[in-house]
Amino acid sequence: MAFPYQCLVARSETSPDSHSWILVGASGSKLVTQSSNGATSVWPQEESNVMDDHNDEQEPPGKRIKLSPPKEQKANFSSLVLSSDGKHLVGVTGEDKCIRVFQVGSGSCLQQLSERCMSRRPSSITLTDDDTTILCADKFGDVYALPLLPSPDEERPATPVVAEPAEEKVEGKEFTPSATVLTVHSGRNRKTLEEQLKKKAKGLLKTKEAITFKHDLLLGHVSMLTDLAYVRMHGRGYIITADRDEHIRISRGPPQAHIIEGFCFGHQEFISRLCLTKSGFLISGGGDAQLRVWDFLKFKLLATFPIRDTALAYLKARPELSPLGEDEANFKVAVSGIWAVRSSSDDVNEVLVACEGIPALFVFNLEPSSSGTCIPLQGNPLDVAFVQLSQGSWTAIVAIDNIHKPCSTTETRDDKDAPRLQHFSRPIPTGSQWHEDTSLREVLGSFAKEGSKLGVEGADAGATETSSPKSAGDKALRDILYNVENLRKRPGAED
Amino acid sequence: MPHAPAKRQKREEYKNSLHTDEQNAALPKKKFYRQRAHANPFSDHSLAYPRSPADMDWATLYPAYAVEGESQQASEAVEESTPADDEVQRKIKAISKNIEVADIGCGFGGLLFALAPKFPDTLILGMEIRTSVTEYVQEKTRALRAQNASTNGYQNVSCIRANTMKFLPNFFHKSQLSRIFLCFPDPHFKQRKHKARIVSYTLNSEYAYVLRPGGIVYTITDVQDLHEWMKEHFEKHPSFERVEKVFEEGEGEGGAGMDECVRVMRTETEEGKKVERNKGLKFVACFRRVEDPAWP
Repeated sequence: MAFPYQCLVARSETSPDSHSWILVGASGSKLVTQSSNGATSVWPQEESNVMDDHNDEQEPPGKRIKLSPPKEQKANFSSLVLSSDGKHLVGVTGEDKCIRVFQVGSGSCLQQLSERCMSRRPSSITLTDDDTTILCADKFGDVYALPLLPSPDEERPATPVVAEPAEEKVEGKEFTPSATVLTVHSGRNRKTLEEQLKKKAKGLLKTKEAITFKHDLLLGHVSMLTDLAYVRMHGRGYIITADRDEHIRISRGPPQAHIIEGFCFGHQEFISRLCLTKSGFLISGGGDAQLRVWDFLKFKLLATFPIRDTALAYLKARPELSPLGEDEANFKVAVSGIWAVRSSSDDVNEVLVACEGIPALFVFNLEPSSSGTCIPLQGNPLDVAFVQLSQGSWTAIVAIDNIHKPCSTTETRDDKDAPRLQHFSRPIPTGSQWHEDTSLREVLGSFAKEGSKLGVEGADAGATETSSPKSAGDKALRDILYNVENLRKRPGAED
Repeated sequence: MPHAPAKRQKREEYKNSLHTDEQNAALPKKKFYRQRAHANPFSDHSLAYPRSPADMDWATLYPAYAVEGESQQASEAVEESTPADDEVQRKIKAISKNIEVADIGCGFGGLLFALAPKFPDTLILGMEIRTSVTEYVQEKTRALRAQNASTNGYQNVSCIRANTMKFLPNFFHKSQLSRIFLCFPDPHFKQRKHKARIVSYTLNSEYAYVLRPGGIVYTITDVQDLHEWMKEHFEKHPSFERVEKVFEEGEGEGGAGMDECVRVMRTETEEGKKVERNKGLKFVACFRRVEDPAWP
């Protein structure tokens, strides 16, 4: 049984006489790619293939040494971004806080070009419109800019990013305590100061190892950043950041990212996802009962979508799914994904929305505004990607949680043959309903099977298949797939 | 702590006694409001804060400036475009002028009450994260207003509990403020606590957002290390420039030409007085908000 795809990205290219596309999915710690010519590949490559791998020679020797002891990288991917030219893939692995850049080769083969470990766990990444810069938002509230491809003179090859913890960064600067004895102090500060002086006496002043690659601090919130977006409108770049404290901040794009243009106020719960439509509307969602649609250039709310009520109505219509009970008043949603529907026509302002632990996608349309319809699914949705199979025909590929029961983020399912992917398309791009589209099933046959095996790597989720449901592996698995509801503030938090 | 319940009880009794007489003009006693000097700016607390500056009820804090009979609709934009929104429609009384001065981390309010008579026509707000300390300043404001009822004194000063590091833009519009004071902030000596400092490159963007061009951020501390830190972070932020030396220090014995607020800040803050008694050092640094560059 394979680990579900927790991330999916796709890119389609259309020329007058051909359609091509590439689909990349992250399944635990593995990446699976498939392109329209039918080729699939898995990263990292299986053991048996390593022998003839000429990539190894290109890798600097230091790197190989570093990678060999833990044989396989076990960190799970938390987000993927494809560059707009389709030549590069950027992935974030959560546990090691690492940003990995891959070259997308012919035959959809991935080759890792760099791995850069940040000091804080990235929560969201995106690329600027010119594909040159990675913007990385972290759990500590900061946004950094990193060049997509580090230039050789800025970075020594094979920089040991994690290793060598002992390296001391004294920079020849004599340590001085943070204050003089004349300073007015509280008891705690006095203690800290004493500590510092003691440490100095022992000569044990450890500083965190500095990051050696280029990374520029652009902006920051004093909150956990949950999502970020970059958009260019009327020739100007904007960075949009969302945090756990209900803020959506609009900043100028680099090089003036220190200037805040404004805020989109209105959310009352955490924000977890931002989505920009083709025509420049911003849609935000999180722990609130509504999604909000913004004219972010004017910081103005345009409309709201009743995501909670739509989800509730869906669950009520399918009582077999959920133990909703009488607790209807306390029913809350946590938006885990908002995707702008890709379409051949420009005037589609439609989004698909997923809520954590609800086996459906909800469809909202901005113009004409709709109250929300549902696409029922066979499991909880984890991610959505759109591919264009032929002229004018876009298909939504939905990654499904094949491990947990529909409607649950904790209970494992009994059926072992739950799908990992479902596909939906519409006969007419606008106005018509979404239908399950089985034509892709064959094309993506091997893609649907590949990925991390449960119980072998990834979250070591083997326990899910056996008995103890409360094992650590189970928890780890859940944390990869479901981490949005955790953002909600608990009432009565410490004062 | 065996004394804790007794202490709490005494505090409650004291605070209740204050409220039995509405016109009580006696100043509150600090000893009933002491609270440990640190607060974690990252924790959620149970804070009350407006959803946006338009949602803030300023009239309650500055009743003398409330616009009679007129009330503004909270979040007009929200309501006109989304009648379906389930928000409670709140009528918020407008005040006739905007707050222009914010003392962030105002503590027991020494600076506030010194500035208030000096700038009688300017609304000044103290913002403090510690509940008890905020209460003290609010009580003192009430008492001073009662004492000065004939002259309408201290109507221009008020205090709220807030975590400004998270929610400053919830209180103030863009370019609303002309002065921000950061007086004797918690130095957070530990390396890993540096992000909790009230000044950082990234937070400075928020100060720049609420300050109008030409507005000033005033900082004072007795911790040289923190002084250097604040200087470094403001100086590398393109929205700020350091003011002229004479603004901070004046000239000659009398400090001629020193900014009036710097003078008050040096002498009137609680910590400032403490440092004076200890014969410690005070480090002042002020930064001017420059115009934003043209946007290409």
